[in-house]
Amino acid sequence: MRPFKLLDPRSLDEACQMLDRYGEDVKLMSGGTAILILLRQRVFSKPYFINLKAVPGLDGIRDEPGTGLRIGALATLRAVETSPIVRQRAPLITETFRLVANVRVRNSGTLGGNLSHGDYRLDPPAPLLVLGAKAVAVSSRGRNTYELKEFFRGLFETALQPDEILTEVVVPDAPPKAGTAYFKYTSLSETDWPCLGVAALVTPSDGGGTCGELRVAVTSVAERPMLLEHLGPLARGKRLTERLLEELGDAAAERVDPIADARGSEWYKKEMVRVFVRRAVREAARRAGLAAG
Amino acid sequence: MTRTGEGRDARAVGRSVPRVDGAEKVTGRAAYVTDCVVPGMLHAALLRSPLPHARIRRIDAGRAATHPGVSAVVTGADLVQMPGLDPYFGPAFQDQAILAIDKVRFVGDPVAAVAAATREAAREAAQLIEVEYEELSAVLDVQAALRAGAPLVHERLRPSQAFADLMGIEAERQTNVCYHFKLRRGDVERAFAEAAHVFEDTYTSPAAQHAPLEPHVTVAWVTEGGLLHVTSSTQSPSYVRLSLARIFGLPLSKVRVTVPYLGGGYGAKTYDKLEPVTALLALRTRRPVKLQLTREEEFVTIHKHAVTTRIRTGVAADGRLLAREVAVYWDSGAYADIAPRVVHKSGYTAAGPYAIPNVKIDSYCVYTNRPPAGAFRGFGVPQVVWAYESQTDAIATRLGLDPVAYRRAHLLREGDLFATGTPMRSLAVIECLDAVAREIEWGSGLAGSSPPAPEVREAGVPRRVLRGKGVAVGIKAALAPSISGATVMLNADGSASVLSSTVEMGQGSDTLLAQIVAEALGVRVPDVQVVHPDTAVTPYDTITAATRSTFHMGNAVLQAAARVREQLFAIASDRLEVDPDLLRARDGRVFVAEAEDRGLTIPEVFGAAFQAAGTTLVGEAVYQTSAIPTDHETGQSERVTVMWFVGASAAEVEVDLETGQVRVLRFATAADVGRPINPHHCRQQILGSAVTSIGQTLFECLHFEGGQLTNGSFLDYMIAGYRDVPPIITPIIVERAHPEGPYGAKGVGETGALSVAAAIGNAVHAALGVRLRDLPLTPERVLQAMREREPARAARRGQVERGPG
Ligand SMILES: Cc1cc2nc3c(=O)[nH]c(=O)nc-3n(C[C@H](O)[C@H](O)[C@H](O)COP(=O)(O)OP(=O)(O)OC[C@H]3O[C@@H](n4cnc5c(N)ncnc54)[C@H](O)[C@@H]3O)c2cc1C
Repeated sequence: MRPFKLLDPRSLDEACQMLDRYGEDVKLMSGGTAILILLRQRVFSKPYFINLKAVPGLDGIRDEPGTGLRIGALATLRAVETSPIVRQRAPLITETFRLVANVRVRNSGTLGGNLSHGDYRLDPPAPLLVLGAKAVAVSSRGRNTYELKEFFRGLFETALQPDEILTEVVVPDAPPKAGTAYFKYTSLSETDWPCLGVAALVTPSDGGGTCGELRVAVTSVAERPMLLEHLGPLARGKRLTERLLEELGDAAAERVDPIADARGSEWYKKEMVRVFVRRAVREAARRAGLAAG
Repeated sequence: MTRTGEGRDARAVGRSVPRVDGAEKVTGRAAYVTDCVVPGMLHAALLRSPLPHARIRRIDAGRAATHPGVSAVVTGADLVQMPGLDPYFGPAFQDQAILAIDKVRFVGDPVAAVAAATREAAREAAQLIEVEYEELSAVLDVQAALRAGAPLVHERLRPSQAFADLMGIEAERQTNVCYHFKLRRGDVERAFAEAAHVFEDTYTSPAAQHAPLEPHVTVAWVTEGGLLHVTSSTQSPSYVRLSLARIFGLPLSKVRVTVPYLGGGYGAKTYDKLEPVTALLALRTRRPVKLQLTREEEFVTIHKHAVTTRIRTGVAADGRLLAREVAVYWDSGAYADIAPRVVHKSGYTAAGPYAIPNVKIDSYCVYTNRPPAGAFRGFGVPQVVWAYESQTDAIATRLGLDPVAYRRAHLLREGDLFATGTPMRSLAVIECLDAVAREIEWGSGLAGSSPPAPEVREAGVPRRVLRGKGVAVGIKAALAPSISGATVMLNADGSASVLSSTVEMGQGSDTLLAQIVAEALGVRVPDVQVVHPDTAVTPYDTITAATRSTFHMGNAVLQAAARVREQLFAIASDRLEVDPDLLRARDGRVFVAEAEDRGLTIPEVFGAAFQAAGTTLVGEAVYQTSAIPTDHETGQSERVTVMWFVGASAAEVEVDLETGQVRVLRFATAADVGRPINPHHCRQQILGSAVTSIGQTLFECLHFEGGQLTNGSFLDYMIAGYRDVPPIITPIIVERAHPEGPYGAKGVGETGALSVAAAIGNAVHAALGVRLRDLPLTPERVLQAMREREPARAARRGQVERGPG
């Protein structure tokens, strides 16, 4: 790996100034778990890195009544996973983060690094998408809030501008009575990156018995994590029968354009979208108190 | 069961004594080659070929040579100009140049080497070397390599003559087949004509990575008196010494190869790897040089052979195996490494341990423009077992016979002739099969089926799974002839040293050798120090591989210790005025067998012989096994090996019908170990083999595109992790003393790896009624196979399905 200089900003402002000053020659580093691999593989190199871990106060996790959870971008995946507040407000996040990589990676990797990386094989985007999370970014130009569903643009491409720093993820409270579930599927070793991941959120309709709101997100299968918004209307007001679950799985598969890799061909990943959309919705429905079938 | 180690004199052998290197390793204090730092040391890096097959037109190393920190840049063109240097090496054929000379033969072939002040400077400089290639058409798989008129990977070949068993090999001229093993027994064609059923299938097993925790690493330097000292992560120090001496034209005494602990080998670290190029740089620069591979380089250095096996079996109406014809194609990559031996040793077992009167085997070692393949735990046998045990299962199933009973009826027994014409000896294969079958409760219900899966419910809906059970057996022969030398030194205080070139690579050899010496001399295991390989002082040993060390080095150490004991008893018998035959050694004492309090402590015996403190008694031995080479045309030999090792596995699997994912719920694997010197270590070896093999069975596979490896890192290549270990996994020791083994022991390093894939494949078949013939059994492959075979079943959705029975 080529030598580089690690810059230690003392504040967010200073970090923003560094981004402006060094421009093309600098990149942000949080946990470094993704970056160091790329550096080592010589995929890219930079003379400077800004060590965001030096900036105090970016790793908080708190609950803001009326807004939801506010998770600092520098919170490690492990901190999010083990946070009692997160477990209480958004158990779906806890459930998902437990399944990311291994405990060593989770101890160093951060939420901000995970989302900003824009890799297609990530677990966290799926639950955050169904929960309607927003990403807050700061630059010397000011503050910017992105809907997460508009944040992921393509392979290693996010909406973040080169001078922006992701500082926070805001997760609104889930609708009352919602049931949520995340399914991570690995097709090689159990401890592998996901072959795909599906998160689902289901609320019971007011009268009960049928589906109110349905949100489904798939990750790790196509170029970017996606909220499949066309599924909600298909289920609204209906009983979540096996037949309907199948229709939802098929409708989801139609919308994704899988990337073939060592973990599965395009055909296989589409098949798995069908299977795991069914399983995730079924489980979320169960947790919402809706009997399947 | 009787057991050596429970007799009166037996204290150290047969007991699960703790590892002598355990504490040092778990506390991180054990030193490996990577920890080796020599003052003034340079770091090396290699520039590798980006093309699978190309002629090197021109290399311009000018910019690299002047890069800051660089001490030397060497290319193939430099090698041919170095006087007295033979730039080619390889254990079977001298087909590999230290750096590519005329052409490159795989993506990753080393083209130039740089030595510089830091690793980073060396790597940067390597990238500054400009190479002009003329691309040649490449043979990217075995099929392409075998086609008439295919481009040749090697135009000329030179056999190496390093090992007795490889003396006779000769490449086929003007083809990419570098070795063809033939076995002919009986009349296969006539038998097929008489057979009631003929089964013919093709099975494949993919290239896979060894993935040792420690990548290959070598440090070389020249010391006083022109001694070339090489410390290296090698499983074959004696061979490396020989090879370096030959390459550089040095007397054997001027090459010193040392090996500290090895961070895992599994066959990857056999024969020459980084040693020639590192030594070359050290000699060039007159400075110590260290070369350590990155994990990505590790992936293109050596791997497990990809194999295609065509197997045809003729069966009588009553199930007797009348004839078996097997053609095995080994993708050996660009350099032969030890492949011809793999092709030979696994080739002659390719019909399995069954009574079959008519056998025809052709086993082909084929060059391709892929990275080289070599030895991997099991030495090719797991690949052929996959074929013959899958097919044997298919035969039993088709005939409606129980797969365990069917195997039992046709397995070879003591005294039967193997396909090579060798009479079988000391072979507990039926006991192994029975043990694993019992362990997974075989026979409750239909052949191979599990009791119906308990309903797996998910969100209130039953998950569609099926379960099945499968078994498989495997056989491998120990490498013969082969040689192990050892020196045992007993010190006046009752402690002892063992000088042996066996490499401690995690398998527990230090503990095992200490146990044998402790047993033979009546001293304590912790007081026996095993000196790690140092060819300046430790005698020749063929290799630490092939499940041979317990048997060969164990015997050498036992004999050397016996020679020390003779001297000890001779001195004591004078003193005690008793015949030496009546003496025994135990608890640091020499005493009279029938009158235990008549005796001397070891220090007293030394005191009687020497009037000085700290003296030693030394014993030496060379243990050598013999074999009769297989006949060139028929593969026949009355004594093809000294020792067979056999094992069996049984699996119970659950297949998810929606994803195709196979989960191994229960796994048992048994190995005939002779008598265990250290039962706990034996079980660990069996377990380790099984877990590695489960990963290879279910998901490991190197993918290539146009000769380029596409998943050559741990980001994309997975090996079995903790969570992939079946919830119930049982290693089983089957004991049957080997008449020639030390204390009756055989080895166990590979036995647990032989039959894993086939047992799982057979269990999948029992669950689904679908036979998969290509490894690994990825969920995608399983799902695809289910869809192809049973479109109707796939169409029925949302419905509970159950296993047969
Ligand atoms: C062995 C291994 C296995 C893995 N398995 C999984 C898995 O199963 N599931 C999964 O989801 N992930 C997995 N990952 C990925 C892991 O989650 C990410 O590497 C990690 O989350 C990245 O966080 P980081 O803080 O280390 O990022 P860094 O490496 O520091 O940065 C990553 C990228 O984000 C940018 N960046 C970092 N912080 C910010 C910020 N605040 N604002 C703007 N840009 C920023 C950096 O410039 C860089 O481009 C795995 C990683 C490894 C190494």
